[in-house]
Amino acid sequence: MIESLFVLSPTGKVIIEKHWHELIPRRVVDFFNDQVSKAMAEGEDVTREDVLPIIASPKYQLINVYRDGLTYLSPVTKEVDPMMVFEFLHRIPDIMQEYFGQVSETVIKENFVTVYQLLEEMMDDGFPLTTEPNSLKEIVPAPNILNKVITTMGATTSVSTRKMPHGMSNLPWRKAGVKYNSNEIFFDIVEEIDAIVDSTGKAVSCEAHGTIQTNSRLSGMPDLTLSFVNPRLVDDCSFHQSVRFNKWESDKVLSFVPPDGHFRLMSYRVNLPSQQNLPIQVKPSINVGANGAKFDITVSLRNTDGKPVENVVLTLPLHKSTTTLTAQCNVGHSEAAANAGYNIGVEFLINSHSLSGLKVDVLKLFNESYKPYKGVRTMTKAGRYQVRA
Amino acid sequence: MADFIKQNAGRFFANNKKGENAELLADLNSEYRDRRKDAVKRVIANMTVGKDVSSLFPQVVKNMQTEDLEMKKLVYLYLMNYAKSNPDLVILAVNTFVKDTDHVNPLIRALAIRTMGCIRVDKILDHICEPLRKCLQDDNPYVRKTAAIGVAKLWDLDQERALENGFVTILQELVSDSNPMVVANAVTALAEMQESSVSKDIFVVNVAIMNKMLAALNECTEWGQIAILTSLADYKPMDAKEAENVCERVVPRLQHANGSVVLSAVRVIMIFLRYIRSEDFIKGLIKKMSPPLVTLLASAPEVQYVSLRNINLILQKRPDILQNDVRVFFCKYNDPPYVKREKLEIMIKLCNDKNIDQILSELKEYASEVDVDFVRKAVRAIGRCAIMIDEASERCVNVLLDLINTKVNYVVQEAIIVIKDIFRKYPKRYEAIIPTLCQNLDSLDEPEAKGSLIWIIGEYAERIENADELIENFLETFLEENSQVQLQLLTATVKLFMKKPDQSQEIVHRVLETATSEIDNPDTRDRAYIYWRLLSTNPEAARAVVLSEKPPISVETRTISPALMDELINNISTLASVYHKPPKAFMGNRAFSADAVKKAAAADARDEEQIIGDAVLDASGAPAPKNAMADLLDLDFGSSEPAYTSPPVSSSKPANNSGPNYSADLFDMSTDMSGSSGNVFGGMGGMGGMGGMGGMGGMGGMQQQQTQHQQQAPTPARNDPFGDLGGLGGFGQPQQQQPTKPTQSSAENDLLGLF
Repeated sequence: MIESLFVLSPTGKVIIEKHWHELIPRRVVDFFNDQVSKAMAEGEDVTREDVLPIIASPKYQLINVYRDGLTYLSPVTKEVDPMMVFEFLHRIPDIMQEYFGQVSETVIKENFVTVYQLLEEMMDDGFPLTTEPNSLKEIVPAPNILNKVITTMGATTSVSTRKMPHGMSNLPWRKAGVKYNSNEIFFDIVEEIDAIVDSTGKAVSCEAHGTIQTNSRLSGMPDLTLSFVNPRLVDDCSFHQSVRFNKWESDKVLSFVPPDGHFRLMSYRVNLPSQQNLPIQVKPSINVGANGAKFDITVSLRNTDGKPVENVVLTLPLHKSTTTLTAQCNVGHSEAAANAGYNIGVEFLINSHSLSGLKVDVLKLFNESYKPYKGVRTMTKAGRYQVRA
Repeated sequence: MADFIKQNAGRFFANNKKGENAELLADLNSEYRDRRKDAVKRVIANMTVGKDVSSLFPQVVKNMQTEDLEMKKLVYLYLMNYAKSNPDLVILAVNTFVKDTDHVNPLIRALAIRTMGCIRVDKILDHICEPLRKCLQDDNPYVRKTAAIGVAKLWDLDQERALENGFVTILQELVSDSNPMVVANAVTALAEMQESSVSKDIFVVNVAIMNKMLAALNECTEWGQIAILTSLADYKPMDAKEAENVCERVVPRLQHANGSVVLSAVRVIMIFLRYIRSEDFIKGLIKKMSPPLVTLLASAPEVQYVSLRNINLILQKRPDILQNDVRVFFCKYNDPPYVKREKLEIMIKLCNDKNIDQILSELKEYASEVDVDFVRKAVRAIGRCAIMIDEASERCVNVLLDLINTKVNYVVQEAIIVIKDIFRKYPKRYEAIIPTLCQNLDSLDEPEAKGSLIWIIGEYAERIENADELIENFLETFLEENSQVQLQLLTATVKLFMKKPDQSQEIVHRVLETATSEIDNPDTRDRAYIYWRLLSTNPEAARAVVLSEKPPISVETRTISPALMDELINNISTLASVYHKPPKAFMGNRAFSADAVKKAAAADARDEEQIIGDAVLDASGAPAPKNAMADLLDLDFGSSEPAYTSPPVSSSKPANNSGPNYSADLFDMSTDMSGSSGNVFGGMGGMGGMGGMGGMGGMGGMQQQQTQHQQQAPTPARNDPFGDLGGLGGFGQPQQQQPTKPTQSSAENDLLGLF
């Protein structure tokens, strides 16, 4: 049971609190703040991110998530599934992001009433209730300006305050009577590459985490079947509730009646072999001397099917004791700031490319007579991609 | 004057407050709907930041009767917040609530019943029962599902009333509802109520319920799935067939984006695996569990942390899982430290002769990171790999030597500590590296590292040409050292003396004298006495004790007792599985036996420091099984008691000598003793995981016993350790002498005076 939530500002002040069950006194927040500062005082390199996500206090277990400067703290008194608490706590900023476009102390304060309503709808007596953004948006209207934008864009076709929520139709995720003039569905396949590459350019570990974000604008009750050219690539996957798991097990196709609007159809993981051709190669050469060090980092393109690589960012954190530093780039620009260790963080983005090679084949529609427009976009970008020097 | 200002100030603020509230009051009574709604929103906003808007209660509540759902919800929010402080006023709202539970719109019916349940005020309980009953039997599943949780709310406040009104029975019936969401919520409510019920018979999962839950499992929300899976785990299958069947139904849940659903499914499978006999089926399940667990590691760090702690447990129970996935546990440099530590533990657990090279090169990489604590753990991990995998030990030692050559102080020290363990595991195999180790003698400043190197020198004294010089070098600061190092030095010096008596007679004499006369720490002093006496009475016995065969060292990767393990597996995906302690040890009902807590804590400690030998390096601080040791001492000394009854022929010798003499029989250790003492100490060394330093560990334990004894004994014992020892041994002679002996200041005199 998730009894209470405190959202804390970067300085540890309570921005908003919500008690779904009994009231838990604010004192607990002071204790929590003490523990956090104690943990951070242990070493100069210890940051807020390094503090344990579960802290024991005499009376409560303080389960907390730190995201974008804000702490989402949930003290629990009874044995609980911590994974569930974390999943739930992460939903809160996710949903605020959906609603307000960004999450910060100011945004929460500006939208107190909406946030309060959302927290009320997301949980009943300590048990998660409605956490699906599409359903929530029907119960709690998004703030006005955004609402207006959505209306002008024509996204909300038939929203009325008297409508039944999703949970009440036969398919809990889809409302009845959706109607569009032009029926379209868009699939965004985004792959993030997590990799550790050693100094010789060999991948020590490398995997692609893909998601298929879908925007469905289809009338009626469309029953879709999406197939891939090479579904067996996928090592592990999870689906939106609407996907019929048995069909995937037997035929490796996605068979589903989509929810209306935006949703994540599928996420998947592909283990890439260590001899995988990575899209870019980073060759560091480090010479450390007595009075300083010289880092030469060469970045070159490899294997992108001729697609351009965009937004390449290399981060080379240096030790805190670094006093001066100069950085030069042949292309692009550089910023200098000191921080630790010889590891290079790499970011990049390649449009219309999937590193794993997963490709959508056909989309078939049943149960409705129209012919939908299908749009597929792919994108590969660096996730947690590191080069060791 | 001051009063005047205060008064005025007070009035000003009151006015101001009244001003804002008055404005709100006017707006709340406005004839325009928009204005009223806006006012309610402002009231809520004020409430959220902690301003007192309770005076507006009647006006706000008046706005409850509206067809505008958003408005209604806002008013409800207000009500829930102030109900506790204004219980009398809530009654004003009750009628509207009750009316709303009859509304044509199911959404409003559900909202009304949900909110009524959240108003935790006794007065409302009288009014909630009838609407709740109606809603539980509503045609609309959304209302039923909301009402199901409502029963749990009522239960929490008044169990009697919930039972009297038959709500529990209705709820039990809802488990068979046609709508999966209703089933899920009924299960959620019942499970919660079961936990707090006295009789524990509210929700017992039987075959029928299990089948209902399985049927609903695929169709309900992620949170409902978690509730159902959690309750499923309590079911005891009748046979293997049924267990297989349940597992098959649960397996698809592993493919869920919500980590909690995945782990809850893993828990059900891990529990049901106990009932399954077919090896192939088990293998299949294990294989299916691996990819989802790996996927969890790409989630947020908190989720990774819980996953890793659970994977650690699962691996101890089913070591064949995740065998080909060690790569995913490699650390990223910006992983939080708590994630890195857990990953490291799992890498070691997955270590085998096929992946050892990969793991070693990772560990070597980690040893160059900036986080000192993590670096130490990585170095230690290399040692653990060496001890686990015989064929790879040489590669591990080479990596450790590379690390020693980096000259990074804490890396060197940590490496020397683990090399000591490797020496214990593979005696005589890596003597060639000793010179390299000794080169780093000067950089050691941590007791454990020093102690380790000293131990190595003592153990291999016969192979180290300048062992005496090295020991001598350490002895220069003998008195300043930490007791752990002193103990090691004592033992190493005695070992040296036994191995190279010609070179070191002078050293050993000096050390024992210093230790017995200048050191106050009873552990060190008493150990010195024991060595002294052993050496002087019976060098053969001393040899048997000091150079005894040491019990083999082993790395425990599975350190949790089977019973605790089973309990933890039952608790996968709970806080217990994160702490690796039974739930009662850290939550709620603390009337938990202290023993069990200690046991769990000890198990946990061992889990962290898995080289058993390590834990006992400092014998004085080790949690040794004292009772067993005491028994052992009593017993064996007792049995050899007759030996002491023989007249102490040579006991007068030291008195003739000017000082202690090694050849002298300080004690009448008869030949009978020399035979048995070896056994005693050998046995003690191996006893109860004292492991530490073999014979030394045994001695340590004995000293500890003695120390304890000393503290209990009256004052004479403080100055008279030998008398004490004698007393411990149970021989009458010294005890008889004790009273005749006036207390003497010098321990040495005391020693002589004994006889």
